[in-house]
Amino acid sequence: MLVLKLLTIEPMHGWGLSYRLRQISHDVFDVNQGSLYPALQRMLRRGLIRSEWRVSDNNRKARFYEITRQGRQHLSAEISEWERSSGAVNRVLRFV
Amino acid sequence: MAWYDELLSGARALFWRRQSDRELAEEMRHHLEMETELNMREGLSRDDARQRAQRDFGSVARYKDDVHDERGASAVEGLLKDAGFAARSLRRQLGFTSLVILTLAFGIGATTTLFAVVKGVLLAPLPYARTDGLAQLWSSWTGFEKTWLSYDEYEAWKTEIPAIEDVGLFTDGAVNLTDGDEPERVRSANVGANVFAVLGVGPLLGRGFTEEEDRLNGAPAAILSHEVWQRRYSGDPAVVGRTIQVNGAGVPVVGVMPAGFKLPLDFGSGAATQVYFPMATDAASEGAIPGPAFQRGGGSHGFYGVARLTRGSTVGMVNAQLADYVAQLVRDNVLSATRNFRAFAVPMDEQITGGVRNAILVLFGATSVVLLIACANVAGLLLVRGERRRRELAIRVALGAQGTRLTRLLFAESALLALAGASSGCVLAWAGIALVRRTAPSTFPRIADVSIEPSLLFFTLAIASMAALLTGILPALQASRVAPAEELKEGSRGATVGGSRLRWRQTLVSAEVALAVLLVVGAGLMIRSVGNLLGIDPGFNPNAVLTMRLSTPSSWYPDSNRVVAFWEDLQNRVNRIPGVTSSGSVLLLPLATEMGDWGLKVEGYTPPPNQGTPGDWQVVTPGYFETLGLRLVSGRVFDARDGMGAPLAMIINRRFAELYLAGRDPLGARVVIGGSPDSLAYTIVGVVDNVRHNALTREVKAQFYAPLAHFARAPGSTRRSMNLVVRTDGDPRALIAPVRNVIRQVDPRLPVSEIRTLDEVVRASIAAPRFAMELLGVFGAIALTLAAIGVFGVVSQVVALRQHEFGIRAALGARPGQLVGLSLRTGVRQVAAGIVLGVAAAVAATRLLGRLLEGVTPTDPVTFAAVVLITAAVALLASALPARRAARAHPGAVLRND
Repeated sequence: MLVLKLLTIEPMHGWGLSYRLRQISHDVFDVNQGSLYPALQRMLRRGLIRSEWRVSDNNRKARFYEITRQGRQHLSAEISEWERSSGAVNRVLRFV
Repeated sequence: MAWYDELLSGARALFWRRQSDRELAEEMRHHLEMETELNMREGLSRDDARQRAQRDFGSVARYKDDVHDERGASAVEGLLKDAGFAARSLRRQLGFTSLVILTLAFGIGATTTLFAVVKGVLLAPLPYARTDGLAQLWSSWTGFEKTWLSYDEYEAWKTEIPAIEDVGLFTDGAVNLTDGDEPERVRSANVGANVFAVLGVGPLLGRGFTEEEDRLNGAPAAILSHEVWQRRYSGDPAVVGRTIQVNGAGVPVVGVMPAGFKLPLDFGSGAATQVYFPMATDAASEGAIPGPAFQRGGGSHGFYGVARLTRGSTVGMVNAQLADYVAQLVRDNVLSATRNFRAFAVPMDEQITGGVRNAILVLFGATSVVLLIACANVAGLLLVRGERRRRELAIRVALGAQGTRLTRLLFAESALLALAGASSGCVLAWAGIALVRRTAPSTFPRIADVSIEPSLLFFTLAIASMAALLTGILPALQASRVAPAEELKEGSRGATVGGSRLRWRQTLVSAEVALAVLLVVGAGLMIRSVGNLLGIDPGFNPNAVLTMRLSTPSSWYPDSNRVVAFWEDLQNRVNRIPGVTSSGSVLLLPLATEMGDWGLKVEGYTPPPNQGTPGDWQVVTPGYFETLGLRLVSGRVFDARDGMGAPLAMIINRRFAELYLAGRDPLGARVVIGGSPDSLAYTIVGVVDNVRHNALTREVKAQFYAPLAHFARAPGSTRRSMNLVVRTDGDPRALIAPVRNVIRQVDPRLPVSEIRTLDEVVRASIAAPRFAMELLGVFGAIALTLAAIGVFGVVSQVVALRQHEFGIRAALGARPGQLVGLSLRTGVRQVAAGIVLGVAAAVAATRLLGRLLEGVTPTDPVTFAAVVLITAAVALLASALPARRAARAHPGAVLRND
């Protein structure tokens, strides 16, 4: 979900994603870097993202990932689901 | 589209793994470079930075695999990998592997062979249109269970039975094809003009018979079978319109039937009809009343009838309507009630294959049982292997192999074994089908339709997959319960072996023994039954007699004098051949053709009201009785005295004397053959013992023999087709060439057919039960062997697993005999359970053998007892061999072991 969210901002390559993740979540999500790539493959396979080899800012060839329309739909569905369940958890936490 | 993408990605991943790996490596490198730069920015040296990046990332190779798994290729690829692994591990144990493959090959090969028979004989469509709308018509009355129709019946059934649309009439016979260099005797048929239409088959070339040709004294015409057209007329289409020589007279060919076409009754006979002629008859010439009226008493019966049912009608409806109609005839006093006349229809498929369906299904069942035993055996062998591999599997689990992965691996092994078994099984089936076709009795219907065809491959594949599943499921269950900690800790060094591990194995062995008992009982019953058949005294001596069929067509032998002179001359010359002790000739060879009867008038005998005095008739020449070794009861046999001009002489069988001449001296009694005013009266000159003419198991009927020379004196009674019989003091087959030479000397135009020894004739008459016996015997032997291997295996395993325990026992003072007994006991319990189960199953199943059995009940106690003893003995032997090893358990050696 986070990866998809990040990709809504702009197409990114693998390392960029891992860097951003660490940056944004203040190292809370020290995403096991290895598991990032299988996750990307999974999303590729499900058509949530697409990939393309491009030249990066510092003139290196890198594989950029981009969110697809299907990915956006999936993301919004996930977000609303997350809000529902996290809202429920929050309510319980507040109540008890 | 999602599934499509997945499939595509999976396929790409599988086939383009190299390329995607390269892409992945590229991506990883990029990642590492970026990370390294980041680390360097944080102030680390280049090397440290790279190292940290790599540490954070982990093993590149592993991620490659993870990513690869995510792409969905792993399922297919894993399977291939497993198959490769399985193949390697199977190759390492060549002995084990070949045993398993051979076992499966036998099971699969036998089942496929029998399936080919089931398919060719029972399932493949008959060469007629709308076969379910066809039925064969029969008549029956006291003494004749299933016989020909009369012309009156034909006319009545055709017009008066609503469920019957049309009836086609035909008769069978034989003719000499006399054109060309080699005269040939072939089976022929006279068919009504509508027969081909009733069967729904048109000629391949030319046309069918016209109504004009089918009329009495109509123009001659012939239609050829596909076979004779190909063989004798080299498939030349111009044969249509040409005139061929039949029995020395010219007949124009008007058509050729398509390949595979046969008349309904040709299926049960060795030789199919080769030439068709028109029926060319009518009611008047058949002594019948034109139209649906019936002659009193029923008239003469001599036609086969095939009926085409009206649409929507069933054979059941036809039979009900026939029964009603006959009941009315009896009420009207046209037919006598005491003759118990009945007309009935038999569905075409039952008519053609009904006689063998039972045997085929029993044998198919038997092969399925063999296959099951084979599977049980292989499952057992795999279980043993699994037992030995417990540690290997435990280590795999400990190292992180998933349970499903192990199961998959084991199923891959079973699948490979089953596939190899199936391909060897195909080779066996190929040989088996050839063997069946060669050894099946020639009267086995449609045996020629049994062939090797692609659809059999599907069947083989299907049963191979079933075998893979059956053999794989137990080892897989066993593996899925491997608990690594237990296994490795225990180190398989327990003193005794827990029963649970062996439980499956032992259950399998019980099942195998039970199935083997079932088959061996079936085989035993058939052996007893065939033994009974062979033990029946046919009333003649079939050893060392050569027989062949000859006919003397009227175009060359216009009157009976010439026919009789021909046989006299021929027999005299044959008798001079060295090695020949006697010769004769006969109209109908015993056990080869059924006999018809004549209504007789026996002087001084009055039949009960409404009953005739039927006698089965046989025509012979002098020398016949000596040649066949018939036993003379009183009087004399025919000899040179009984020539053309001599007083009419007759010889009767014992049954005839008992029935019609009880309490009198039969010699000198007078008998009139037939009921017409010009019928001739014969004087009985001898009585011979009964001959089982129609079948070894059929009741003997009253029978009389007349000399050819005398019988021919009644108008139209010259018998033109006779069987020459020659007795020798040596090998009858050695006489074939000399006898043919003699025939050529007498008349080179005459074709010879059906050259057989009398022994072969007798054996052919019980070919069907023999065939079933031989196949069941083979399957029974295979089943017993496989079960013995199973018992051997389980006892060996027990002994091997308990070596340690036995060592301790030996150390504590157990004598070798006690150890052997201990290991034998493990086998005995399963064998006993299997035998009990098998006997129970056999009691239930042997009823299926039904009509195949002769003189034996399906639950014959002798057979059952013998089978139990044999199975027990074989099982004991199979367990004694490995059990002996237990006796050699040496305390020291065993304890040092491991």
